[in-house]
Amino acid sequence: MGFLDAILGKSKLPKAKVDKLFAISTASITLDVNLGLKPVGSAGICFKSMESSRYAAARLEIEELLQYSCKETGTEYKVQKDEFNYLWVILKDPDFEDLVTNIHLISQTLIEHGFSEQLLCAIYRFQGEGTVYWIYNYKQGAYYPFVPKGSHQRDNKLEFRLRSVMESELPIEKNVEKWYPLWGIPL
Amino acid sequence: MFLLAVVYLFFLAVLFSQGAGMNIMLIFIGGFMFLQYFMSDKLVLWSMGAKIVSESEQPKLHETITRLCAIADLPKPKVAVVDSPMPNAFATGRNPKKSVVAVTTGLMKTLNQGELEAVLAHELSHVKNRDVMIMTIAGFLSTVAFFLVRYLLFFGGGQRSRESGGIMAAWLVSIVVWIVSLILIRTLSRYREFAADRGAALITGAPSNLASALMKISGIMPRIPKDDLRKVEGMNAFFIIPALSGSSVMKLFSTHPSVEKRIAALEKLETELEF
Repeated sequence: MGFLDAILGKSKLPKAKVDKLFAISTASITLDVNLGLKPVGSAGICFKSMESSRYAAARLEIEELLQYSCKETGTEYKVQKDEFNYLWVILKDPDFEDLVTNIHLISQTLIEHGFSEQLLCAIYRFQGEGTVYWIYNYKQGAYYPFVPKGSHQRDNKLEFRLRSVMESELPIEKNVEKWYPLWGIPL
Repeated sequence: MFLLAVVYLFFLAVLFSQGAGMNIMLIFIGGFMFLQYFMSDKLVLWSMGAKIVSESEQPKLHETITRLCAIADLPKPKVAVVDSPMPNAFATGRNPKKSVVAVTTGLMKTLNQGELEAVLAHELSHVKNRDVMIMTIAGFLSTVAFFLVRYLLFFGGGQRSRESGGIMAAWLVSIVVWIVSLILIRTLSRYREFAADRGAALITGAPSNLASALMKISGIMPRIPKDDLRKVEGMNAFFIIPALSGSSVMKLFSTHPSVEKRIAALEKLETELEF
């Protein structure tokens, strides 16, 4: 942020970055081999709904895209709203590669329609002894682990371990203050 | 901003010509502002009676803020609640990492989820724009001027020396400087309110939510007895709507633009978002 922008309060929202999104597909092998964490074939994108008519058009296009692309890869999908009025696109497919490709495709479409700022995150669910989520923060272009434990508690120990094991393979958000939790992930 | 700098430089020159006695004054003011800057979060929270709440106490409020932070790419601030029926919200803290966002219980009761989100996004925009820092620095300049006015009133008036004419001139100058800098600071403050409204609209993608929140808050504001006026008066700069209402306050000196103007600006943003 430039000095003049700071004075005038014209800070801009960061744009979404999708290039690191694919890193999870190779990382999933390491997660399986080293940590016994398997993808459960469930992933999702969470984004903020907007009130412009442009948004309604984009949503229609995404539904069409989902129908078309999910048919091709045999992916199940659903779109749902949560209590905070955020939209979730939830994908289910046993083939992890297909999940990653579809997540990327949907993100790309949303960005092309100018909803870059409204993308909250993409989430992949893994299962070992417990449930582990890898959350992709579009603003940082990096992943971070999220391990919920009970109601509104998180297993920081496991999260840090996941970071140290995966650091070399996955772009991981360095600032732990930006490891935002998401409670009640509908995956 | 340029005008503010010119006024400030001019003022510094006048200050310099007054000599050594001022130094102590400056150190005093500087120390005071330093404290205000570094203690701003605690000072504001303490004077407002705001209580930091944990995630288990206010899960929904926390979650809403977390998501907005993820969109705005901000570290999550501390969350505080003020037990007051007056619907209001403020943000404080000298940098995004030390920031606190507070809402009143009245605000949470009055607004729906979308409107509450919009108000929180407005406060987070203040944090993102570093408004506490900018307004403290701007306030520092006008405080220096104010103290100089006081100083010269006290010492300048009594002296009957040859220099009294010069001191009188300096005194008049500092009054003018003070008034002008105050107007400029208030203009800057109003400008930054618009900027925060704009930021909130971008974060939430729904300018109309903030507009309806503003209407709700402002409609209720005058009907609430203002017992705590003295307590809240100094905090106006960080409020979403100033606690001092009324047409008697001159527009030029108000820290916040009028609700009508803010809503008009939001409606303009709404059409911009469409295209």
